[in-house]
Amino acid sequence: MTTPQPSTPSTDRARPARLSVSGVSKRFGAVRAIRHADMAVQPGTVHALVGENGAGKSTLIKILSGAETADAGTITFDGAPVSITSTHDAMALGIATVYQEPQLFAELTVSENVFTGRELTRGGRVDWAAQNAKVVELLDLLGLPARYATATVGGLSIAEQQQVSIAKALAGDAKVLILDEPSAILTDREVEVLFSVVRRLTAAGVSIIYISHRLDELFVIADEVTVMRDGQTIGTHPIADLDVRQIVELMVGGILDDARPDRAVPPGDPRLELRGLGLAGQFHDVDVSIRPGEIVALYGLIGSGVAEIGATVYGMARATAGTILVDGEPVRPRSPREAKDLGIALLPANRKEQGLFSFQPISFNISAGHLPLLSRLRVWVDRRREREVARSMISRLSVKTPHERQAVSALSGGNAQKVVLARQLVDRPRVLVLAEPTQGVDVGAKEEIHRIITQLADEGTAVLIVTSDLAEAIRIADRLQVVRAGTTTTEFGPGATQVDVLAAAAGAEDEQEVTA
Amino acid sequence: MSTQTTPGTEPAADSGSTAAEVAGRGESLPGKVLRILLTQRIALLVLLLATVLITMSQLSANNYLSAPYSTSYLAATLINAVPLVMLGLAELLVITSGRGGIDLSVGAIVSLTGMVFGFAYGEWGWSLPAALVLAVVFGGLCGAVNGGLIAYLGFPALITTLATYYGFSSLALVVNDQRPINSQPVQDLYSTASAVSLPFLPDAFPRIPLGVFTFLIPTALVVWLVLARTTYGRRLYAIGTNDVAAEWTGINVARTRFTAYVAAGAISGLVAVVTVAQFASARPDSGVAGNGMALPAITIAVLGGVAITGGIGRVAGVVLATLLIVWLNAGILLAVPGNAGSQLQLFALGVVLIFAALLNGFSNRRYGGTS
Amino acid sequence: MSSSILTPAGRPDGEPAAVAPQDGGRQRLLPSPVTGQEMVLIVVIALLWLALSLATPAFFTSGSIVPLLVGMTPIALIGVGMTIVIITGGIDVSVGSIVMVCSVIVAQTMVGSGLPLPLAVLLAVAIGGVLGLVNGVLIAYGRVHAIIITFGTLNLFRFIGLQVFGSSTVEGIPRTLNFFGRGEAGRTLGIPHSFVIMLVIAALAWWYLRHTAGGRHFYAIGGDSQAARLAGISVRTRVLMAYVVTGLLAGLASCFVLAQGTSSLAANVGSGLELAVIAAVVIGGTSIIGGRGSVLGTVLGALLVQTVATGVTQLGWRSQLSDLFVGLFILIAVGADLIRQRTRRAS
Repeated sequence: MTTPQPSTPSTDRARPARLSVSGVSKRFGAVRAIRHADMAVQPGTVHALVGENGAGKSTLIKILSGAETADAGTITFDGAPVSITSTHDAMALGIATVYQEPQLFAELTVSENVFTGRELTRGGRVDWAAQNAKVVELLDLLGLPARYATATVGGLSIAEQQQVSIAKALAGDAKVLILDEPSAILTDREVEVLFSVVRRLTAAGVSIIYISHRLDELFVIADEVTVMRDGQTIGTHPIADLDVRQIVELMVGGILDDARPDRAVPPGDPRLELRGLGLAGQFHDVDVSIRPGEIVALYGLIGSGVAEIGATVYGMARATAGTILVDGEPVRPRSPREAKDLGIALLPANRKEQGLFSFQPISFNISAGHLPLLSRLRVWVDRRREREVARSMISRLSVKTPHERQAVSALSGGNAQKVVLARQLVDRPRVLVLAEPTQGVDVGAKEEIHRIITQLADEGTAVLIVTSDLAEAIRIADRLQVVRAGTTTTEFGPGATQVDVLAAAAGAEDEQEVTA
Repeated sequence: MSTQTTPGTEPAADSGSTAAEVAGRGESLPGKVLRILLTQRIALLVLLLATVLITMSQLSANNYLSAPYSTSYLAATLINAVPLVMLGLAELLVITSGRGGIDLSVGAIVSLTGMVFGFAYGEWGWSLPAALVLAVVFGGLCGAVNGGLIAYLGFPALITTLATYYGFSSLALVVNDQRPINSQPVQDLYSTASAVSLPFLPDAFPRIPLGVFTFLIPTALVVWLVLARTTYGRRLYAIGTNDVAAEWTGINVARTRFTAYVAAGAISGLVAVVTVAQFASARPDSGVAGNGMALPAITIAVLGGVAITGGIGRVAGVVLATLLIVWLNAGILLAVPGNAGSQLQLFALGVVLIFAALLNGFSNRRYGGTS
Repeated sequence: MSSSILTPAGRPDGEPAAVAPQDGGRQRLLPSPVTGQEMVLIVVIALLWLALSLATPAFFTSGSIVPLLVGMTPIALIGVGMTIVIITGGIDVSVGSIVMVCSVIVAQTMVGSGLPLPLAVLLAVAIGGVLGLVNGVLIAYGRVHAIIITFGTLNLFRFIGLQVFGSSTVEGIPRTLNFFGRGEAGRTLGIPHSFVIMLVIAALAWWYLRHTAGGRHFYAIGGDSQAARLAGISVRTRVLMAYVVTGLLAGLASCFVLAQGTSSLAANVGSGLELAVIAAVVIGGTSIIGGRGSVLGTVLGALLVQTVATGVTQLGWRSQLSDLFVGLFILIAVGADLIRQRTRRAS
């Protein structure tokens, strides 16, 4: 390992950092989202913030933008300590954040969105001409045509909406602009435009905090990079001192958690096959084959199309190309109901929105997916069996709860996730698709969920894990396929290392360098 | 819509314990009682009902009332509870189905179905069971219009049922040229609305209106069975709690929601028969006259603990809320005789509704609670 | 200009593209002031008027048009307030009761003390404002859905109204308010005063909603109240204001209602009015979900509803049929809105 030493803190610099963070920590209930964060962003530079999912990047960003308040630590702005307790405080300091999901008003025009809450007025009337002039200027800077100023935002593409968000941030005279994975949803050409905007802004003295999973692009745009791991900042380095491999090593740490118990997958015909599967605008030419008892992971960054592959297998979207085969028979599930009839179960990625019936009891949450099974004549709920199934699931999955009548909203993330997982296991599925199975789950529960998945595969289920958590993918999958730019690319066997896989996913150009 | 309230891609790790859990630990007895009253609507309603009955009985015993607030009086007023409970249950079904579920058209369905029933039974000479079935089916069809638009086409419930309210009430008026149907068979129905004494019970037991046994109790029982014991009930609560998750779970969200509106229409059809019997006449404006029947029904449902956001609501809450309102009104009528008394009922209804709604909001914030 | 990505297929109802044409090199600063739905309404109303004047010669006479214009004013006037309320994502079903309270108090005061016209109007507006304030405070600060609160206040206000009524109708109301009526006293140069007043208020509201920061904030709140709050908009104050304005306008509308009646006032005044107003607003293209809508559409919606009512009567059809048409118009308007939203999402 040739990991360079972190550059010394900014004390020896002539001027104070524009924005600096030291000793910041933040806890959500029992989970320590940030243990200790130090970071100093210099004026007029692009400061990249990288780390795996769950490393604490988002929480740190939320603290800087005032959406969350730190439990401890200090934040200084231009050398003076400041307290950011609301988004107002952050905006007043000139810290503007562009989130991945644009926070815009769909029915209002671009120009109005940019100025909502701080309209330019003249004689009590909104000065449309002045607003438009300013917006046209900003649009020009962003490489968008001037006529967009009067377009309603709802009619724009997501990429265009994101650029409107940037314009909105800039209109407030931002001194620090936080870009949260801005490139994830952009095409290469749009990324070019984004970079030219970023360069113009830094030339004008604006500091950029740039979060991205596409490590290759950091070498194009960033000046410095701060790496986070397990809720801590590992160090800040000039980008010139590093290469992709070194950044990846810093992100995953020296820990060799790649070791996994050997599993023997019995030979046989594939249970689930995807042949040239495609969904217009999302992914294309996806080839996957899973035997009974096998665990295959599809690993891809957010926006790579990996999430949509799982949803398509489950009938939430209808494939526009290719075929899905179950036990060699081509199938076309048109709804989750049809998928379930084929023996396909799915654990959705977004537990809260797609999984939980929050204020209903645990037993309700488990039985909801199997009402015909847990009923008499498909009409009357067999409450005794429902209770028994819930209790046996609670003990099998070690859900920590006093009883099965507890509302799931009162459970911790890990326990709630186990309940949603339990729902998929009642009627032992032939194919189980797991989307982000351990997102927002504490370490102990993560272990247990992995154990359950492995056990299920041992019993003959074909398991497809769709995840952006690499450590997890490597840890439990028998085979791992990288999804990049909407299609399956490199495949790795059990011997894969995080560094190799991450490099493959982060940028195809670096693959040569890594494997060399 | 491109807007989202929680930005960022990594969801914050869930907290280990919740407000409800914290609230459960080490609280004093009065605190516990307060929490139960605020979070358990049934408990609150029972307490309020007891308060009303005791207060009114005291007033009655001290001769402050114009007539005794006796059990027979209370039993007689139950005739007012019949349509109220039934339509309250109809609203319970549609509101529980979520996505802003509500049905403003129940009163108009009552009017229109009442006319159809009046024709069948009073003019065409159908037998009572056949006409009754027709009323239920026809009401269900009206509900299917609502349900089809709302569940399958995604129309907003409030506006859709406003439109069908206009449509159905207009048809009810037009169908017989604004004239009521009160032929002999229809007039004879009145006897079914009268009070009966129960067999096997001592004569001292108050005489209860027949409609309570023929309509109210069966409907309440069926709705309770459906909601609490059947797979349909589970699906309804599931889509009302989180219809996205229900979709991912493989529940047919549209069909489940559609059925709720059909059921609400069918119950309204039954209420139409009750109303025709009660007035001994099929009146074209029976369900929409004055404030109509929909607004009190929604009020009863909300008071009974049905969450306007869906997924929460129990039959017992609706029944208790109706008893509370009916017996409170009965007391008011005795305490403030004449017109002033009937006006005070509006006041009581309004105050109780706003009080219940504010209380819901408060207890949700304080306890993160549910029903 | 060539068609661009910004003129997607998502405007099935013929709504002009959000991007203004740049003919003459001058760029429009705002989307078109008349939306597609409003254009459709104008055409439909024009066709109806044409058809009606061909079908019944009596239609295009002042004896028929004046009552039509006067008749729609209460709905249109309250509709202006209701439009703002619905744009913020709320609703107010208590307006009928507000009209009842205001008209009965004003009527009785006039009977008792011979109140002059300006004071009568002031009294009605003041009472309406206070009742609107009650709604606004409960909704903005109670954090309970508007429909529940206003269902409650509907009953409360009706109670107040009935209390004031006593047990009988109000009789012998002086002709003070005839200035707003449909008779000679209510017209100048043949144009009804109430209609002009309504138009002026609607125009002011239209301008306010379209051209001032405060007006635009109503739209932002309806679009996403959380984001609006983060953008520094005082959401509570705005929401409160919407209900107060609706109350004030309902107060004024009650004077018009009184002026249209005879010298007696029955206790059922204003009952069902809330539904007619909501219907006019929705037909006018205001989205019930909030965030979009215009006063112009509401006025047109009210005009359409009143035209249908007049037409049905004049054609000798059963007058109750007009409600059926209102219901159909609501469904068509909502359906058009849904198609518009879906195609936009798909593009």
